[in-house]
Amino acid sequence: MYKIGEEIQVISTKVRKAIEERSKAPIQQLAVAQVEAGADALEVNIGPQKKKGPEVMEWMVDTLQEVVDVPLCLDTTNLAAMEAGLKRVKQQAIVNSTSADPDRLRDVPPLAAKYDAKLIALTMGKNIAVEADKRVTIALEHLVPRIMEVGIPMDQVLMDPLILTVSGMQEYCPEAIETIRFLKQISDPPPLTLVGLSNVSNGVPRGNRSLVYSTYAVMLLGAGLDAAIVDPRDERLKEWVRIVEERDDSTPVGQLLLNLYDATAVMEDLDPGIVDMDDPDQAAIFKTVQVLQDKIIYADGYLQI
Amino acid sequence: MRHHPLQYCGCVAIGDTEGDKTNLEGVAVMPVAVETPKKEWTGQVREVVLGATEAEGGTRSKTVTVGGESTLPFLDFEAPMPNPPRIAVEIQDRKPSDWSSVLLTVWGQVLDDPAAWAKAVEELDVDLLVLKINLTDADGNETTAEQARASVRKVLDATGLPLIVFGPGQTELDIDLLVAVAEEAAGERVVLGVCDDKNYKTIVAAALAHGHLVNGRTAMDVNLAKQLNILISDMGLPLDRVIMDPTTAALGYGVEYGYSAMERLRLAALQGDGMTQQPMLVTPGEEAWRMKEAKVGEDVPQAWGDWEERAITWETLTATTLIHSGADIVVLRHPESVRRVEDLISRLWNKGD
Repeated sequence: MYKIGEEIQVISTKVRKAIEERSKAPIQQLAVAQVEAGADALEVNIGPQKKKGPEVMEWMVDTLQEVVDVPLCLDTTNLAAMEAGLKRVKQQAIVNSTSADPDRLRDVPPLAAKYDAKLIALTMGKNIAVEADKRVTIALEHLVPRIMEVGIPMDQVLMDPLILTVSGMQEYCPEAIETIRFLKQISDPPPLTLVGLSNVSNGVPRGNRSLVYSTYAVMLLGAGLDAAIVDPRDERLKEWVRIVEERDDSTPVGQLLLNLYDATAVMEDLDPGIVDMDDPDQAAIFKTVQVLQDKIIYADGYLQI
Repeated sequence: MRHHPLQYCGCVAIGDTEGDKTNLEGVAVMPVAVETPKKEWTGQVREVVLGATEAEGGTRSKTVTVGGESTLPFLDFEAPMPNPPRIAVEIQDRKPSDWSSVLLTVWGQVLDDPAAWAKAVEELDVDLLVLKINLTDADGNETTAEQARASVRKVLDATGLPLIVFGPGQTELDIDLLVAVAEEAAGERVVLGVCDDKNYKTIVAAALAHGHLVNGRTAMDVNLAKQLNILISDMGLPLDRVIMDPTTAALGYGVEYGYSAMERLRLAALQGDGMTQQPMLVTPGEEAWRMKEAKVGEDVPQAWGDWEERAITWETLTATTLIHSGADIVVLRHPESVRRVEDLISRLWNKGD
């Protein structure tokens, strides 16, 4: 799984303050820490920056490139800022993002094409479609034609089905898994697929978030996920992705995760018979799978029962 | 004349393999054997018994059991529905200050005396009584624990119906009043409400101490409803003493959201999700009578028709909609709504086997 570190984003007060004060140190610390933890690329979300977009983006890209040498995933709705960043990057950038919204679809893909960047394409229009087939339809009818029109190869496109929270939009957690599965079949070569993984655990008590998104990552990988915007410093996520990628079945948890991955890959349910419910780690994974598949209603205390 | 294609596979033949049939225009149609699709559920709603008779340490003339179903409402061909949805009628500890004049007129004199009001409800031949304690007394002073205790005593003495008691709905005051009510009604298996995520510790402790049940209310949110059941259960109250109140809204004001939340909770229960298997109580009477379509007769379009008929229809439709999404107890206000909802239940309910 290609990991894009999520921490440099304007929603964080620390990042917002650093941008306002043009203070390099906090940004550079976040960048180095994420790359050292294994991030393959870094998300760079500066927000809309209506007044000084290009200047902020240039400063940000320069600040990052002073200390790390990984691709940057430029995330802003400000087109001028996006272009300023694209001109500045040393490695192939990732443009985050277009959607099927007519304005975005008109403006963003040509920019990615012009600078040979990868392009994240959200399977949504002005509104969020939740069902898998509707999301795939958006990809087929709006995103793919436009992307082909501007000449971006499909293997440079990261389709993002948009992840919704298990705590409030639980019905759609399995839909996103199916969307990933379908997106891998819409073209030859297929597009890459990407999710903003942490979204699934918004609203979940802090202590359970890593369990929720790490379990979800294993399921999404089983359905064909290629990349994710993640907290690269989360040890559990790192370890579980490693287990799945190396097919490490040397531990009971490893065997369970591989079973989960394989079952998802062939559209089957995890066999409850193989879960040792006396092992708290396995029980927690099984309960989380049940919740993410929308078989058991989510509640903050779902692990207690 | 051309026929609509559907006429040839018309309803006359469904489930019937004997004898020649004709469609509505007299044309012979082939009998078609159609097997009724049946869903087999693995889960079951818990049975909860309200009220205690003398033999069980209370003074009620009967107990009322709710829940126990292992299929969706009224689908008795799939699985038994051992208990029908129950109607509870709401009375208050004093004459309500915000009720529609339609309601005030129909209840008349009894409004000033909860004992008389409770007796009038019992005469309607319903199963359950809800006593709502107001925030303030008739003089406008905050209701005291002693007043709440006295009201509950009067009602318990006046009727043999199992009782549900609602506090005013303000966390602090609810705690004071409901703890006093729980003491006064010790052993009666009264349902204490509103028990929510802020006051549940005290309310559940009171229920545990005095042999009562709780009504756990959450705001039309399946996740929170389940979480509250978990919290209540963690306190040690057995789940056969917990009713859940997912909250509802009136027809035209979001009843469909309440319906969806209840439907989802019930489907989860039937699929075996143990923390959603509580019988559900909702208050369509309170919700419907809050809305102008029911509440007022002036300054509304003439086309809305007769006020009382419209108001009763509003309450009845809100209630019956919720019964179809799995409500086990509906709390109503108008006697005619009670009659109509009772009529619906008696036509649809079949115990099954």
